[in-house]
Amino acid sequence: MKIRVLLLTIFVGITFSLKAQKNEYSILLISDSLKVNAKAVVRLNQIDIVISSQRNMTISTKRVITVLNEKGLSAIDAVENYNKKTSVKDIEAYVYDGLGNEVKKIKRKDFKDQSAVGSSTLFSDSRYVYLDYTPTQYPFTVVYESKIETSNTAFIPQWYPVSNFFVSVEKSVLNVDCPLNLGFKKMEFNFENFNIQKTNDTPAQLSYTASNILAQKQEDYSPAFSAVLPKVMMALELFHLEDVDGSAKTWKEFGQWYSDEILSGTTVLSEETKAKMRTLVGEEKDPIRKAKLIYSYVQQKSRYVSIQVGIGGWKPMYANDVDRLGYGDCKALTNYTKALLEAVDVPSYNTILYGDSYKKDIESEFVSMQGNHMILAIPNGNKYTWLECTSQDDPFGYQGTFTDDRNVLVIKPEGGEIVRTKLYEDRGNTQLSSGTYSLSKEGDLLGEIKIVSEGSQYNQKAMLENLQPTEKEAHYKKYWSNISNLKINKTAFSNDKENVRLTERTEISAVNYGNISGGKMMFALNAYNQYNGSVKRIRNRKNPFEIQRGFSDVDEITIVLPHEFTVEFLPNNYELKTKFGAYKTEFIKEDNGSILYKRSLFINKGMYSNTEYDEYRVFIEQVSRNDNAKTILTKI
Amino acid sequence: MKLNQLTLFLFVATFCLNVNAQDFKLGKVSVAELQEKSHAKDPAAVAAILFKKGEVRFEYVEDKGFEIITVVQTRIKIYKKEGYDWANQAVRYYLANNGEEKIYFKDAATYNLVGDKIEKTKLKNDGEFDEQINKYWGRKKITMPNVKEGSVIEFEYIIKSPRFSELIDWSFQSSIPVNYSEFRTYIPEYFVYTPNQKGYVFPKVSSEKNKRTIVRNSKERASGYVGNTTFSQDKTDYQETMTTYLAENLPAMKEEAYVNNIDNYTSSISHELSMTRFPKSSIELYSTDWPSVTKKIYENDDFGAELNKTGYFDDDINRLLTGLKTPYEKIDAIYNYVKTNLKWNDYYGYSCNDGVKKAYKDKTGNIAEINLMLTAMLRYSGLTANPVLVSTRSNGIALFPNRTAFNYVIAAVETPKGMMLLDASDKFSTPNVLPFRALNWMGRLIRKDGTSDVVDLMPKVNSNSTVMMNYSIDERGAVTGKLRQQQTDYNAMTFRRKVDNIMEDSYLEKLENENRKIEVTSYSRQNEKDLKLPVMETYSFTGSNLCEIIGDKIYISPMLFLAGTKNPFQQEVREYPVDYGFPFTEKNTVNIQIPDGYTIEEVPDPAVITMQDDLGSFTFITNVLGNQIQISIINQINTAIIPSEYYSMLKNYYQGMLDKQNEKIILTKV
Repeated sequence: MKIRVLLLTIFVGITFSLKAQKNEYSILLISDSLKVNAKAVVRLNQIDIVISSQRNMTISTKRVITVLNEKGLSAIDAVENYNKKTSVKDIEAYVYDGLGNEVKKIKRKDFKDQSAVGSSTLFSDSRYVYLDYTPTQYPFTVVYESKIETSNTAFIPQWYPVSNFFVSVEKSVLNVDCPLNLGFKKMEFNFENFNIQKTNDTPAQLSYTASNILAQKQEDYSPAFSAVLPKVMMALELFHLEDVDGSAKTWKEFGQWYSDEILSGTTVLSEETKAKMRTLVGEEKDPIRKAKLIYSYVQQKSRYVSIQVGIGGWKPMYANDVDRLGYGDCKALTNYTKALLEAVDVPSYNTILYGDSYKKDIESEFVSMQGNHMILAIPNGNKYTWLECTSQDDPFGYQGTFTDDRNVLVIKPEGGEIVRTKLYEDRGNTQLSSGTYSLSKEGDLLGEIKIVSEGSQYNQKAMLENLQPTEKEAHYKKYWSNISNLKINKTAFSNDKENVRLTERTEISAVNYGNISGGKMMFALNAYNQYNGSVKRIRNRKNPFEIQRGFSDVDEITIVLPHEFTVEFLPNNYELKTKFGAYKTEFIKEDNGSILYKRSLFINKGMYSNTEYDEYRVFIEQVSRNDNAKTILTKI
Repeated sequence: MKLNQLTLFLFVATFCLNVNAQDFKLGKVSVAELQEKSHAKDPAAVAAILFKKGEVRFEYVEDKGFEIITVVQTRIKIYKKEGYDWANQAVRYYLANNGEEKIYFKDAATYNLVGDKIEKTKLKNDGEFDEQINKYWGRKKITMPNVKEGSVIEFEYIIKSPRFSELIDWSFQSSIPVNYSEFRTYIPEYFVYTPNQKGYVFPKVSSEKNKRTIVRNSKERASGYVGNTTFSQDKTDYQETMTTYLAENLPAMKEEAYVNNIDNYTSSISHELSMTRFPKSSIELYSTDWPSVTKKIYENDDFGAELNKTGYFDDDINRLLTGLKTPYEKIDAIYNYVKTNLKWNDYYGYSCNDGVKKAYKDKTGNIAEINLMLTAMLRYSGLTANPVLVSTRSNGIALFPNRTAFNYVIAAVETPKGMMLLDASDKFSTPNVLPFRALNWMGRLIRKDGTSDVVDLMPKVNSNSTVMMNYSIDERGAVTGKLRQQQTDYNAMTFRRKVDNIMEDSYLEKLENENRKIEVTSYSRQNEKDLKLPVMETYSFTGSNLCEIIGDKIYISPMLFLAGTKNPFQQEVREYPVDYGFPFTEKNTVNIQIPDGYTIEEVPDPAVITMQDDLGSFTFITNVLGNQIQISIINQINTAIIPSEYYSMLKNYYQGMLDKQNEKIILTKV
């Protein structure tokens, strides 16, 4: 109680010297339920979007955030991006203490200005201004106000009444004002279970008020934020992007506009390069086999460099420039590959999507600028073959976990089209381990193993080959962290890109793998593949849980025992089938005295309810326990 | 004839260098270099620096005076796709108007082998970028064209700078192998720099003196009209020293675990201005040794003057000190006062930014403002207190006397029991328990008269973690128990930081999951906020998968989830010292009640492992009393830093300890 009293005395001391006092910001007015699990409370987040024409939009923000502790600082989010087409008109902030007394005013000139070039971008003309404030006490309240103006009406920010975990919301308001003739439209997501009122919904105006939303807890294996929390997407049918007007009611029209206005004229190549491509494919007639040759050429020649300047942020670099420079971003390299394919009469299409290992769809029911990545689609019968052009290593047509199984927008000259990319079936995401190990009478292990990975499991293993020796060693020491004193004696890889299959061959040794005491030796037979994905115990889970990709592991390992020992105890065979997957182990005594260990683990992909999470945890616990089942040998 | 001799000498020298097969001139890329598939000494290297040459000259510019011109030429071989990042280069420069630097790239090109011909692709404007990071710094970037596996790239950049205080830092080593690295300075007699070398590889150094001349043209124009201009020339001779640092075949630097800051071990050279002696003006001394560096810092307005300011806090401190008598009470009161009332704004530095008065008013400040104010208040209360200059871990160890060696300051106060170090910028720091960032070998204490002394920053007292665990096992192998853990000093600080503002639910979930999925009940924590006392946590737990039942036997490792499972030292050899930051003692006492109907078949033997030179020791003592087993386990590391020559001993020590900790008790059914 000492601290409370001290703080109060300070507050009283300051009150006299300050003019402004906003009692409405006092923390005493926050209801207790909003403080549960909260590091900050959004008292008000009001966003007013005024679209005055196809080429002008202003976004005003007034945000009042009470920060309860240091962890809640990020909820203030006092930052605005700007560039040649977007300017920050006003930006300022006021800080109030817990009782609502003004402590500080921060004017525009006291905000910091910084280049937005991050570690993954070489250059960008985007910059941002941000608030750099050191709180002197907690809790405190920040009132942040900003106004930005832009001509890029192709992007109306999405509205997220809840935008952070562990942050509760007293009130969040959205107001949109738009001329009738621009075709303003919106789409609502996940409103159920949240208190959101639509206060105005006419063709020219839209308003929502969300109130009293409790702080959300982050939980493992939850679907993405945007899949469970409320949001509103908004767009115009008549829009503007970096000096280019656009109009689209349908994906077909959108694709046409993108083709005509953004992509057209970007695939010109020199005759020399075209001739080179024709020589490269030679007599080959099959479009897919031709594409394979071209793709391999691109992989040899180019590298990924991200440069985002002006419309270059949306429009690909010219194919000619990529040809000369040998680098580009995803748009540039996709478009370049398309141009090379054109030269050998193979049609292909730029494809817009969200590239992320968490599968995210282009929202097909809502025609608008979406996505953050570009790949290339080549018609292959009634399907498409997809090319990731930023990778110098990916096998032809392999989608890994960055672009697989999601809705994407294929841009054809005649218009756009929503298509789903390749799904890697759970059964096809395999890892087959086969090998042997022997134990000496001292318990020392000597073994060799072959691991073959396919499907989405290939994705995780393919990079191993190119790691530095120390990184390879670190990988195996982590993968086999169950084996102490592990030494990696030899590693070899073969990467069969044709069949998308990575084979690792490894030789290892480890002293004292078998734990000897009192004439007995104890060890886990499953040395090579202990399931180490941990599933946490979560108290009162709220969110559904999702397994995005299933897989199948199969192991067959022969264990050669020391002659000086005999088997005293062997674990029982075990089998478990649940809705989440299946697990099976077998221990077979061979005639020559060795033991054959067989194991299979299969996990389904799926979306499950919050209450099923605990069942899943118990399933995985059984797997871990049986993976770790010990054998005992007795000295003869 | 003198000139001729010099030319001859240079010719011979160049000729000799040329014998070394490779041509270290831009534009002279050889077919052999392009054909190379991997680095001869490091076949796994993704790229290598074939040569890197730096040259620093002082040029006299009329009307401006001297200007430093730095020219760096680099040739890089790219072996693998993973080395493509080397084709993107960036150089930072200062752009604020009190010392604006100019920088440009030149002669940048990529070389490839096409058939047996060398193809050269020049860098054009579209591959050059100028980024304004913020008010003070800009960054020129280039991205090379036409880069493939096997390419060789070359580029040169030139920096023109009016900032004399230091020359560019030259790293001979890099994260890829460096075949040849040469750094050359041409320094006029008017400037004296102290070269500071660090790292494990020492370059060869040679130097020679040459004569240079400054020619000043004076124009005198009659009242500004064209014509009637008279010219006069004024010549000044001076001596220039050329120094060359040369290192060849440097291995790639590799990151390792428990390394303080890899820059401490990278072979490099830096130069700090120690003196200027211009004709017709007096000698001005900058830094040459630690006492003068410290003195200079002390004389700086943003340091000494700020430290000596008083008056702004007198009333508050008088009130605070009322009734306090012992130095400890005073220290405690002032230290806590600064900690509660001033918040660190995350900026480092030993010099004040806005000044102590403004910081006091705003209740926030940088490191200097907070800790100089603390020092001033301690002095005001009648104690002997002084600031201590520190170099943080991220800044590297302060090896050489220069002003940039330090970037941080703390306070030291004399007490009857010796000197006490204080840092009020961290809410979990306590007297003599500095934040981890400040634990970096030696600091430098400055007294009121400007004299100074070395202060060892590394903690000497072991930070303790003491666990008392009692549990019983039932015949199904379920474990039920109670645990109490008490932590002091650095362990307590780490713990407090870890649980700060974390909701209990989240903390318990983590506790359960990190400890083999035990279930925790009746959790309580003591002294979390009372930093003077050890922090304590107590809880009950149950665990269903802590032992193994095999046939009619129960196997259990006595420390349950407290036993380590993995040796933190996995590497076979180690280059750099192991840096724990502080010495520590882990003491675990375990009491085990075995289930009815079982007897103890086996208990691990007692063991003692000690490391030489008293670096550390492990003891494992067991005691059986009826159906109870008592085990006491102590692991003690007595020094914050263990040199690399002890590495294999340390690794074995850990392995021996882990093996012992994981040995099983065997219980048999009667």
